[in-house]
Amino acid sequence: MSDFDIKNIAKLASINLSAEEQEKLTNDLSIILEHVQALSSLELDTNIEDVFIHPLEKELKLVEDIEIDSLTHEEALSNAPESKDGKFVVPPSME
Amino acid sequence: MELKNLSIRQLNNLFVDKKAKPSELYSDIFDASASSESLLHAHLSLFEEKNLENAKKSDKRFEKGESTGLLDGIPIAIKDNINIKGELTTCSSKMLSNYRSPYNATVIEKLNNENALYTGKTNLDEFAMGSSTENSAFGLTKNPWNTEYVPGGSSGGSAASVSARSSIGALGSDTGGSIRQPAAFCGLVGFKPTYGTVSRYGLIAFASSLDQIGPITKNVDDARIIYNAISGHDALDATSIDNNQTNIPFDKSAKIGVIKELMEDGISDDSRNEVSKVLENLKKQGYQIKEVSLPLIKLSISIYYLIAPAECSANLARFDGVRYGLRVEGKTSYEMMQNTRAEGFGDEVKRRILLGTYALSAGYYDEYYGKALRARKKMIDEFSNIFNDVDYLISPTTPTAAFKAGEKTSNPLEMYMSDLCTIPANLAGLPAISIPTGLSKEKLPLGVQIMSKPLTDLSLLNFSEIIEKEVDFNTSPEGLEK
Repeated sequence: MSDFDIKNIAKLASINLSAEEQEKLTNDLSIILEHVQALSSLELDTNIEDVFIHPLEKELKLVEDIEIDSLTHEEALSNAPESKDGKFVVPPSME
Repeated sequence: MELKNLSIRQLNNLFVDKKAKPSELYSDIFDASASSESLLHAHLSLFEEKNLENAKKSDKRFEKGESTGLLDGIPIAIKDNINIKGELTTCSSKMLSNYRSPYNATVIEKLNNENALYTGKTNLDEFAMGSSTENSAFGLTKNPWNTEYVPGGSSGGSAASVSARSSIGALGSDTGGSIRQPAAFCGLVGFKPTYGTVSRYGLIAFASSLDQIGPITKNVDDARIIYNAISGHDALDATSIDNNQTNIPFDKSAKIGVIKELMEDGISDDSRNEVSKVLENLKKQGYQIKEVSLPLIKLSISIYYLIAPAECSANLARFDGVRYGLRVEGKTSYEMMQNTRAEGFGDEVKRRILLGTYALSAGYYDEYYGKALRARKKMIDEFSNIFNDVDYLISPTTPTAAFKAGEKTSNPLEMYMSDLCTIPANLAGLPAISIPTGLSKEKLPLGVQIMSKPLTDLSLLNFSEIIEKEVDFNTSPEGLEK
């Protein structure tokens, strides 16, 4: 796992990690990734098109395009850490 | 006999015959939680008052002969990753410690239609990631059979609650064994239905192609009653399918396969002995039994620990401190997200998000996630071929009985191995059930798992009931009285 860059992965996953966490997680993930290397010995169909997201169905049903009751504006905002004038409030995107 | 020890059908008969009332059962159940909760910590929240009112409404329906069916007035515990409108749904995570659901999961709507009652929300491994309920941000749950041991996980609170009789049945969710493993560890029945037959709408997603809601109960009939109530196509879940069941034989003409790879190394003698005991019993009854081989099963942990974390890393991206849950301030939105996720997620959740992020990242996708998907497809083909030959597959549910709290927390891979027997059914979308059959040398429960082909859930339940009758396991824990 020489190319395993925990800082880059944590950045992609948007999680700040302490130095201690970085060390521990690098170790844990290396062990797990070594274990999953067992798959490399498998001869597999390389046609990725055959791969699915549902273990049983090839085609999933589409929902009819009709209006149904959903959350009210208030309900949708009810768990927001901060909201104002019916909108979510977040810190600025740039300093 | 105390009401809390009875089956759903027995309770319903008593209610219909006016020999007992749902409100009496509810009091019985709450007396049980009053004595067990401080010891076990099965529930994260209890709904006593609100549901006592609902229990009294059930009383009236039975008085007037207007009950709505078998689940009317039956107290069910709900795993705390399933939304009940107006209640907290924490997923046992700091991230959602104040999250109050603005809507009902489809399974809750269905149970509401039946006038089922809820005892409260049960503890789980954070976001259902774990096998011992030790990963809860709100403290671990203990095994009612012996409180030094874990109840299994991730639906450990649900299993401990049914075992301790602080609910009649419970809903759990099963992504790699999270219903069946805790059921086995607590001496109960745990049923993971065919993928897509129970709506996932309102279940906080962990790994969407694997997650499935199902019951944990004292017996197979209770599991069937709850399954019948919660299953069916739901337009709100894109992966939901029509529950068109196929009947396969469950009498002596049924062909049974015992999975060779799950009776070998890595499986304890205790677990193997339970399977042998059941097979012996079936043989005596005249069932045909043969050994079958599914070589890819040995790689199921590897396949699972690429697919599940990959899906988890995508699903849990929604916890960003913007729309719900915890927010830890930062100078910019990005900093706020990083700080929020650092503080809101526990170690195991971080581990899986990072593993999934890596498996999906540029340059590694084909090597890891792509390969795991293709291996999963191959495993499904292996199962399909085997089911041309046999009707049911038998194996242990778990490699060992329950382990002690703290025993596996320092070694994630060792913890993952405890799901060796249960993960294949999730990867292949199969219905799978664990039924309690006996005790280990340490007097802890052990279960046997039975799987069948997709959409044969009801036949699987019928077949399991035959084994259950023969084994006659007493599901009442002795440890609670210690």
